[in-house]
Amino acid sequence: MTTHPLPHRTLPASGQYSAGALFHFTIEHFLLLPLGGLIALAWANTRPESYFTTAYALSFVVNEIGMALFFALITQEIVEEIMPGGALHTWRHWTLPVVGAGGGIVGSAFVYLAYVAWKHEPVLTAGWPVAGAVDLAFAYFIVKAMFRRHAAIPFLLLLAIAADAFGMVAIASRHPFVEIRPGGTALMVAALGLAFALRRWKVRTFWPYLAVCGPLSWGALYLDGLHPAFALVPIVPFLPHAPRSLALFEDTPHGPHDSPRHFEHVWKYPIQGVLFLFGLVNAGVLLSGYGTGTWALLSAAVIGKPLGILAAVGVAVALGLHLPARLHWRDLVVVALATSGGFTFGLFFATAAFPLGPILAELKMGAVATGIGVPLAIGAARLLHVGRFGRHAHHYHEAHRHHGSRDHPPHHAHRVHHAHAEQ
Amino acid sequence: MWAARATFPFEFAILLGDNIYGRQDLVAKFQKPYQPLLDAGVRFFAALGNHDDPDHRFYPAFNMNGQRYYTFVRQTVRFVVLDTNQLDPKQVAWTEDTLRTSQEAWKIVYFHHPLYSDGGRHGSDVELRVVLEPLLVRHGVSVVFASHDHIYERVKPQNGIAYFVEGSSGQLRKGNLRRSDLTAAGFDQDQTFMLVEIAGSEMHFKTISRTGVTVDSGVIGRRSTT
Repeated sequence: MTTHPLPHRTLPASGQYSAGALFHFTIEHFLLLPLGGLIALAWANTRPESYFTTAYALSFVVNEIGMALFFALITQEIVEEIMPGGALHTWRHWTLPVVGAGGGIVGSAFVYLAYVAWKHEPVLTAGWPVAGAVDLAFAYFIVKAMFRRHAAIPFLLLLAIAADAFGMVAIASRHPFVEIRPGGTALMVAALGLAFALRRWKVRTFWPYLAVCGPLSWGALYLDGLHPAFALVPIVPFLPHAPRSLALFEDTPHGPHDSPRHFEHVWKYPIQGVLFLFGLVNAGVLLSGYGTGTWALLSAAVIGKPLGILAAVGVAVALGLHLPARLHWRDLVVVALATSGGFTFGLFFATAAFPLGPILAELKMGAVATGIGVPLAIGAARLLHVGRFGRHAHHYHEAHRHHGSRDHPPHHAHRVHHAHAEQ
Repeated sequence: MWAARATFPFEFAILLGDNIYGRQDLVAKFQKPYQPLLDAGVRFFAALGNHDDPDHRFYPAFNMNGQRYYTFVRQTVRFVVLDTNQLDPKQVAWTEDTLRTSQEAWKIVYFHHPLYSDGGRHGSDVELRVVLEPLLVRHGVSVVFASHDHIYERVKPQNGIAYFVEGSSGQLRKGNLRRSDLTAAGFDQDQTFMLVEIAGSEMHFKTISRTGVTVDSGVIGRRSTT
């Protein structure tokens, strides 16, 4: 038998390297949620009884407790963007996107309610906020992928945040489907009072805010018949924060346990797990379960919302407001279409607006189907020669195709030059 | 129905949802057509369907007393009427409590969306089934009526409960029944209604088409309520 000495350094197996990169990519781009949704769709349509039994058993824990962490993360991101020193602090940044968001909500609600009335299904009326939902992460990644560094990105972020904030207010109350019990207000006062005190005492670790104030707030909302998944939204602003510069969902330098970033570093991966379960528990709809709600939601999201955004911004500009520098109307069309995808927030708003039943199933299918907004936005970008499909971007791409190397593929060089061109 | 009442003087009727289609004109689409029965003292107890205005629960002739879900008793029968458009936790808890505390020999539940159906357009609502069926089985429900699919179907007993889909009384979807191992009897060629009589531990039923032809009939035995 012959033996051979092991090499001093062994290279990782190519499978391991790919799996790690794939996992990282999946996490960074919030792909666990649609993955959970795809599994749910397949499961519901092949083994419906076992799927719905499992989903029903998990729905309370996932939707009413787990999602509180997701909304806490979103709230932290938003608070740090808009606080003094943050990229979105000045009101001048806000006005036009908020107007656009308002137009999108009005446009989507109008189309939704008109469709429902036309089909004589008034029981669907309460679902209008679902049509206005914008999947923040998806819209952000679509626009970022197409525009890279561009005024369209903060515009989209503000518009999506405003639209979803309004939707959250519209669906916060779950009465009359749940009991309202006394004591909620007292619990909320206690939660906020304690959070305020912790902030005054300069408690910088997030644990007492999360572990004590959070459950108090959760109990308050639950007793008051409001959606307890929003429990951490009023608490997070009391956490220590540091301003952000348009780094939504992106990694920031790791800090000590009392740093403003510690919360998201600790919870980033568990929240991804929650989102996977959210997709798994909520996106499983029978493909035969489509109905009026499905079509109403889809047409409202894909037609009413973008048209509403464009109309509102058009009126505002006509009245004297200005589009941000380097944001043109063709860019705005793509941004408006990127907001048509409701997915996460659409699913959440649907489950908040309606209890279990065929109405909810129709709307969930509509929310899943709004994913068609992704190819629509990309198609519009190509058609209008916007962002990476712009004519000057094409020339750069052609030029660098002949000068690219293995280590610096042409599209990376293209990105760098394109980024400089946008600035 | 008026003709059938001459030989079978039924006292009340149950409506399984989608009671009014299109423009929600209760006078033109319910009161006038059913005036002879209403004048004869027949009461109607309605469930809400997806095409019904939720405010129909306030319409006096539907006897819903302003509730989306409610219960009433006729002699030895406890009827439980549900709103399956939105099966909220409060309603599920109420249903369990009502069935558990019911002392009547018969428990009959009806609502709009069928837990078992071979209708081609909608079919069985499995999501509702996983929540409702355990309650119904646990608390000795004997019969469930539903509609939503515009056909008539008598489903083979499932876990001891007899299921009927009677969705062709108003609107018919001709040829939409997809017979399967679930089907005990079915009819999708014309509109139908059912006559039901409970005598002791037996429920006698007859399904009659618009032209007066009997398309199904039989006897259902009461489940034990212990």
